[in-house]
Amino acid sequence: MTIIFHPGVMEERNGRWVQIGRKCSSCGKTSFPVTELCPFCSSENGEMVSLSRTGTLFSFSITRVPVGPYKPPIVAGFIDLPEGTRIFGQIHAAPDEIKTGILMTMKTGVLWTEKDGTEVMGYYYEPIKTDVGGAE
Amino acid sequence: MMRSVYVLGIGQTVFGRHADMTVNDLAAAATLASVRDAGISPKEFQTAFCGCIYSPPTVVESSLIRLGIGRIPMYTVENACASGSSAVHLLFREIALGGCDVGLALGVESLSAYNKKFGKGLIGIEGDLDAKSGLTMPSFFSMLCNRLIQERGATLEDICYPSIKNHKNGMTNPYSQYKKEVSFQEIMKSPMIADPITVLQCCPQSDGAAAVILCSEEYFKKNNKKAHRAPVKIGGSVISVSGAHDSSFDPLALEANIMGVIDACEMAGVNPRKDINVVEMHDAFSGEELSAYEMLGLCDAGEGVSLARSGAVAMGGRCPVNPSGGLLSMGHPLGASGVRVVIDIARQLWGEAPNQVKGAKVGMAQMLGGVLSGIASPVVAGVHILVK
Repeated sequence: MTIIFHPGVMEERNGRWVQIGRKCSSCGKTSFPVTELCPFCSSENGEMVSLSRTGTLFSFSITRVPVGPYKPPIVAGFIDLPEGTRIFGQIHAAPDEIKTGILMTMKTGVLWTEKDGTEVMGYYYEPIKTDVGGAE
Repeated sequence: MMRSVYVLGIGQTVFGRHADMTVNDLAAAATLASVRDAGISPKEFQTAFCGCIYSPPTVVESSLIRLGIGRIPMYTVENACASGSSAVHLLFREIALGGCDVGLALGVESLSAYNKKFGKGLIGIEGDLDAKSGLTMPSFFSMLCNRLIQERGATLEDICYPSIKNHKNGMTNPYSQYKKEVSFQEIMKSPMIADPITVLQCCPQSDGAAAVILCSEEYFKKNNKKAHRAPVKIGGSVISVSGAHDSSFDPLALEANIMGVIDACEMAGVNPRKDINVVEMHDAFSGEELSAYEMLGLCDAGEGVSLARSGAVAMGGRCPVNPSGGLLSMGHPLGASGVRVVIDIARQLWGEAPNQVKGAKVGMAQMLGGVLSGIASPVVAGVHILVK
């Protein structure tokens, strides 16, 4: 069995998994995850939108102790999307492959497997191998 | 018109491991110490507020009944690491607005009890989206440290400086969990948690309680048994909560911290740059303290690292920060710390601190809580300005 790691954050659209945000038609801001009203202006007017898959790495951490199902070194960080939304996610890359400002792309797959064999699916990020951004 | 609110008495337990004590044992001990310090009967209290994060139900009633305190309104308030600050703030409001003349603000936590129930390790927040992606307090603050290095030119020595300073400050504190100095080399040799944060840059897990008795001016004049103590009042008291964050948000400029300090200083009529002689603040991580100097208004934005290098926040400097040893050396019983910073500032202004800032007249007690609390990670700052 496969389940999604957090209810409501992802949907399958046109055959691929996307993160679902909320674009407010009152203040124009895009928020994630979707909440009852816009977290910025409290408006109820807005639409569910699929978020950009590519963003830039704002900051990242390398954790050297186990955290929940994750084994060290655990690379994770905040990714800034073009729509102005910042998302935290696991980063599948070696610590020396990343630095702030580089382009990252969202991937989906199994984040961890429960003891009963249930696969828990979610999103994570990978650096885009390109000269663009701050990568050297 | 708000009435002036005075500090009448203080009490606390030693912070550290008290695995054989319940939260009620700890809270009763701190309260008893505070009524003995004030020299009033526990029956005098007209209301009580208690800050606690992981307590069993009715912690405040169950603790205070042991001292014969009942039949008054009591509340336990939870606001993450600002829980104790919130208890002080609510009591302050109650007295300032004329709801009562004297009351108790208490803070208590037993991380030993928490660990027995939930297991050891980093504290996780149930159901939190980012926690499920592996966000922890150390990982959040490691990103803050990395921003300090990138945006403020901080070195590893700068990042470790508050830990070195605060461990040294804690050497003479009888209530401190640790009484041990640490060097830069020892800090960096201790196990790495999240780069560049090592174990010795993190506050420990602690058990403990702290209590403060606040009262009106009239009550203070009648009941201040310790006449040698100068009147110390709560000049400003603010609980400041952040809004939702977008990608323009800078963790080096936490709105809740900045606005909380501006509002509390305005309330007290003081200028944080010129008038504040001593600060007790939330240094859960060494880098957190380094990042806070500018947010607390002790220097211009971007100047926190040079302020630290100048020696201004060390003992003997312009505005010593965490002369008690801070959370890093004192320990951090979560709900208790917000009350503990207030009583440590009161000690400083009375001239009774074990690590005394000479001639201190105005002090700030700050706490910051939140981060791993669900959607958009709201944070809450509690800021108190005490004035002699």
